[in-house]
Amino acid sequence: MKVKLKRWHGVAVWKWDVEDDVCGICRMAYDACCPDCTMPGDNCPPVWGECNHAFHIHCAMKWLASQAQAGGGAPCPMCRRDFKFKES
Amino acid sequence: MASDLSRVKKELAECAKDTKSSVQCVPVGGSMTHLEGTIKGPDGTPFAGGVFKIDITIPGGYPFEPPKMKFTTRIWHPNISSQTGAICLDILKDQWSPALTIKTALMSLQALLCSPEPDDPQDAEVARMYKDTYQTFVQTAKFWTETYAMEHMGGGDHENAIARVCEMGFAAAEARRALEAHNWDEVAAINSLLSA
Repeated sequence: MKVKLKRWHGVAVWKWDVEDDVCGICRMAYDACCPDCTMPGDNCPPVWGECNHAFHIHCAMKWLASQAQAGGGAPCPMCRRDFKFKES
Repeated sequence: MASDLSRVKKELAECAKDTKSSVQCVPVGGSMTHLEGTIKGPDGTPFAGGVFKIDITIPGGYPFEPPKMKFTTRIWHPNISSQTGAICLDILKDQWSPALTIKTALMSLQALLCSPEPDDPQDAEVARMYKDTYQTFVQTAKFWTETYAMEHMGGGDHENAIARVCEMGFAAAEARRALEAHNWDEVAAINSLLSA
């Protein structure tokens, strides 16, 4: 039997390479997005702290902002170590 | 900042699923910003056998701000106001983390019942009793648990009230006298007997 390819669609799956399934701040999946976003993907990526704990970038930014407003340094929500973004 | 009510909803669903837990949490009315938690008094403490209700308000900044919690069941504990139910616990204040949940906060309250911190008191009178006359503290805390945190207790007739006061080691006659003098308010009567 001879098959002639007329047309083809490329299909791919993607997944963030994160150890946990859900963000420890908003409890939404990393492969979904934070509560303020509507589309998962590059606009709502996970970020890592130096302690290797990950959060949605928007969740981490909101936590840092709320702690800065309170006038203190921001501990990691998971382990309470000083939260600094990890250079990748 | 609008609070993340979808997270609250998720947390409540998880609480509802876990029926075996000794802490529970349900919404009050239709809103997700006012909840009621219940914790069981831990065994081996003067609060054992009691069920304590906690009023929970979810602030606008949740989960970046801690939930506001206070006891609505009266309790005799150094870190909880015997008058207002206000709670002194670091994770409900500056040690809050958005990785904590309503359930973990309620479990921390249970842990607080196991290990009071009389050096960081919310109720100075209770803390003083805890440090100076520990046995009196245990008796009073047990009595409050029986009076306020157990169903079908309290509000009984006068003879039951006298019996309960007698259980704390007072003679029936003086128990009756104290209760009559305090209009059958058991706590007031006990306090007067203890301070006599």
